[in-house]
Amino acid sequence: MPAGWGTPGVPVPRWLNRCGRVAGLPILGHVIGDEFETVLAAAQGGSGEAFSRLWRDGNPALLRYLRVMVPGAAEDVAAETWVQVVRGLTAFRGDEQAWRGWLFTTARRRAFDERRRRMRRPVTSLAEVAPDRLPVCQDAADVAIEHLATRSVMALVAGLPAMQAEVILLRVVAGLDNETVARLTGRSPGAVRVAAHRGLRRLAQILAETGVTL
Amino acid sequence: MPNFPWLSSQDAPETGDASLAALLAGAEPAEGLAPGLQPLADALATLTARPASDELAGEAAALAEFQNRVGVPVPVSRSRHRRHPLLTPLLSVRAAAVAAVAALSLGGFATAAFAGALPAPAQQFAHHTFGAPADDGGQPTGTHPSSATTTPGGPDATGPAAFGLCTAWAHAKAHGTPSQQAVAFRNLAAAAGGASNVAAYCAAVPHPRASSSHTAHPTGPPASHPTPHATGKPSSHP
Repeated sequence: MPAGWGTPGVPVPRWLNRCGRVAGLPILGHVIGDEFETVLAAAQGGSGEAFSRLWRDGNPALLRYLRVMVPGAAEDVAAETWVQVVRGLTAFRGDEQAWRGWLFTTARRRAFDERRRRMRRPVTSLAEVAPDRLPVCQDAADVAIEHLATRSVMALVAGLPAMQAEVILLRVVAGLDNETVARLTGRSPGAVRVAAHRGLRRLAQILAETGVTL
Repeated sequence: MPNFPWLSSQDAPETGDASLAALLAGAEPAEGLAPGLQPLADALATLTARPASDELAGEAAALAEFQNRVGVPVPVSRSRHRRHPLLTPLLSVRAAAVAAVAALSLGGFATAAFAGALPAPAQQFAHHTFGAPADDGGQPTGTHPSSATTTPGGPDATGPAAFGLCTAWAHAKAHGTPSQQAVAFRNLAAAAGGASNVAAYCAAVPHPRASSSHTAHPTGPPASHPTPHATGKPSSHP
């Protein structure tokens, strides 16, 4: 695990908590809700505005998931995901939960493809691969303070065991329910629940160890 | 490893699990949040913070892909002179213009815009309003393939309806909002020999009554530039 915030002895800056509070007010707009059917139908009928709505609703969550799954390749894999989704768009049937499930299933497959590609290619240096995994330090000036906090928490999540990290992201960031995550990851709902809870407890522990207080 | 009594399995595991389940579902725990879990709740809230501008940066590319695939329906070989049922009663020149404005779409325009296939001023307009590629003089003009092939229905763009269609197209361009594709514009592009030629084609179409020539693209103010999410500054600073 890369050294950084969250490892014993490295304190989490106090602003993380303050930013966490401020950033906590508006959430990832990942629930279109009652309008979903209308928006989907319009997009399937060719409406660019409707598609943009779906895209803006889904892409930030996709990126956050992918930054942990395939650091350094998140944007590329996200773009590939949308290409595939656009291709299958008119054939899709389902509610918003099913839509998000499909989106993230597609993203997950692309992510695993990317990992396999990487295994076959010469390993790039850690300095290139790591930036998405490390807490953002070097390029802090480039990132808005609010988003810095998000990236930092993502880095903490990335430090968890792989399944725990993925399950937490799919539940919290992707907004998928337990059943959908189980289907997506090919595990039982019970196993998913256990992994999620373990991951959260571990996160709580890390945050407490590093002295984050209110 | 420090001991966290509220998390230990000896003490009320159901309560702990219930809180965690609530947090995972993005909800308030029913019995309230244990103080020790507040940092975790904050961290999860941070994970779901509103999108930053870099997370919304790829929209134009995705939209272009969408327009290429879903925005253009599959061409069906039917007689070109078969009129669209909705527009059949309205096929006087003026009525066609009104109908076309009402049923407006910029599907063909937007597709051409993203393919970089518009004439320079129109390309820059598309670039500024909805993020299509900027006009690059050296780019090969790819005329959009399917809109130039046989398409069913709609006002015949080679006939007297051409002026009405051109007026509608120019009106749509001035307001710059991409929306659903209308049959009429596909015929305009087909008659003009490609989406990129529509401007030139329309410039050559004479006004059916007046002797004065009518330019096909009145310059209107561009639509407001779509802004990314304002990230702003948080109320507290480090």
